[in-house]
Amino acid sequence: MTSRKLLSEAKLWLVAIPVLLWTLIPIYHIFLFSISTKDSAFSGRLWPKEPTLRNFGTVFRQEHFYLHHFWNQIWNSLWIAVAAGVITLAVATCAAFAISRLRVKGGRTVMNAALFTYFIPAAFLAVPMYKAMGTYGLLNSRWSLVLAMVTIASPYAIWVLKQASDKLPWELDEAARIDGATPLQLFRLVYLPLMLPSLVAIFTYALLLTWNEYLYAFLLLSHENTIPLAVGLGHFLSSDDSPWEILMATALIYGLPPAAIYYAFRRYMVGGLTAGAVKS
Amino acid sequence: MASVSFSSIKKSFGSTKVLHGISLDIADGEFMVLVGPSGCGKSTLLRMLAGLEDITGGEIAIDGRVVNDLDSKDRDIAMVFQSYALYPHLTVGENMGFSLRLRSERKDLIQSRVDNAAKILNLQALLQRYPRELSGGQRQRVAMGRAIVRDPKVFLFDEPLSNLDAKLRVAMRAEIKALHQRLKTTTVYVTHDQVEAMTMADRIAVMNDGRIEQLGEPLELYDRPANLFVAQFIGSPAMNVFEGLYRNNFIEALGAAWPVSGARAAAGQRVQYGIRPEHIDLAATGVAAEVVVVEPMGAETELLVKVGDRTLTLTTHGRSSLGPGERTFLAPRLEHVHLFDAATGARL
Repeated sequence: MTSRKLLSEAKLWLVAIPVLLWTLIPIYHIFLFSISTKDSAFSGRLWPKEPTLRNFGTVFRQEHFYLHHFWNQIWNSLWIAVAAGVITLAVATCAAFAISRLRVKGGRTVMNAALFTYFIPAAFLAVPMYKAMGTYGLLNSRWSLVLAMVTIASPYAIWVLKQASDKLPWELDEAARIDGATPLQLFRLVYLPLMLPSLVAIFTYALLLTWNEYLYAFLLLSHENTIPLAVGLGHFLSSDDSPWEILMATALIYGLPPAAIYYAFRRYMVGGLTAGAVKS
Repeated sequence: MASVSFSSIKKSFGSTKVLHGISLDIADGEFMVLVGPSGCGKSTLLRMLAGLEDITGGEIAIDGRVVNDLDSKDRDIAMVFQSYALYPHLTVGENMGFSLRLRSERKDLIQSRVDNAAKILNLQALLQRYPRELSGGQRQRVAMGRAIVRDPKVFLFDEPLSNLDAKLRVAMRAEIKALHQRLKTTTVYVTHDQVEAMTMADRIAVMNDGRIEQLGEPLELYDRPANLFVAQFIGSPAMNVFEGLYRNNFIEALGAAWPVSGARAAAGQRVQYGIRPEHIDLAATGVAAEVVVVEPMGAETELLVKVGDRTLTLTTHGRSSLGPGERTFLAPRLEHVHLFDAATGARL
């Protein structure tokens, strides 16, 4: 290895190590808390004297006041995230296909409008959204959060899928048209299979966005049985003497599904969100 | 099989007119090549026939039936694209049978038609492969297979060989021609390569700037180009053309007297004198010239010679003993001299 190469490698490590620590320390912190007993949680040690898995047992058996609805709430989280992912995907895919491949009139306007929505912070829309959901009688229904998250996720999803669609060779559509494909057959038999990596990426994006959402979930859902786990976790902080070790054990469990999903689809995430960025 | 007829076809993109009223009749079973420089409208004309572009004015008929308002799929045509346009997620076999699958044909019928096309194109061993696993030439054959499977009335080719390397292009040229001779399907073939046009066509339509400059059989175009554009476009190396003044039996140009036969223009008229490289002989007398470059090609030799301030090309059979800087004399063959009106470019 030349000294020049060595130097550039060293520079890379100089950046990578702090970033890695920055990311891992909080996670290690959560992990440390979750395997500590209540007394030793704040001992300041790097490894607890008597590591224990009892906290997880407490969580799974719903044996704590704040955890009486744990399984219900994690099911809510999952249900809402999957529903929001599926609907976002459906909306964005149809929009991208219509704008990019069928070239419907006004497509550009829709794209610009979609981009424009990001000038308005999501928190700004919380109150109008609350009002709208109230008007339709959806407050405290899981659908309210699903619809809110679809609203928030769709513009970006449409934008990304439209860009990815534009990269598909136009001749494929023409060949399919000459082969006798109707627009729906084109969509089903040519467009969807070729867009698969981007579709997986966008589905995962919407799913994780919703899974991690707190503000809207907190606002739109208030019943113990309808809130997702993210809001349930927040409830831990409502007492003066929070059971940190159990909160962290729950948080760790809550963090595992997104990590697993991301790991499973990482090939699509990188490929899908940067599709066509370089010449293949 | 079918005839194709274009009558007064016009096309505009916004305010830009790209086709100015093209009329062209293609006979049943004919191999028609549309050739011209890029931007001449040849691809647009083909795409209008395919139903991929709207028709601004005029009528297109296939087998006597006007197809202006028919969808591509109802025109009974098949098209081979320059980029092959194979479906990347389908195997070769699925690609070829796709159109039949869309029509909900029976599986065994699709299978037999695909097998039959694969046999014609020698693709049997590749049916289970994906397009990404094929070479350029194989992909182009699959694209042709996809067209054959449909058994259409008309084959359309849009610069199908442009993405292939030179050697493969020659091989595929022969393959397409052989295919046409076997299937006898009416074919419209677009290319910018005049060699492709010359070697493959039954008839060629030379297009320029949205018009057909000349329509005819390849050698007819070569021997009697209707105007300056066709004269310079058809033939490789290109025809030597230079301007001069018509005198009674010679042309005064480049400081020399160039022989012509017969009275073809008025004395003193400005004309363009055209002579193909292989129609100039080296002689002991004639137009004095100086050899600039000698390009031996084996079977023939290409010479670049300087007359006055112009460099002319000439081809001689066999080898040449001349070297750069040597002086020689040119003798154009009278019967092969082309004269064009200097103002209009029309043949005289």
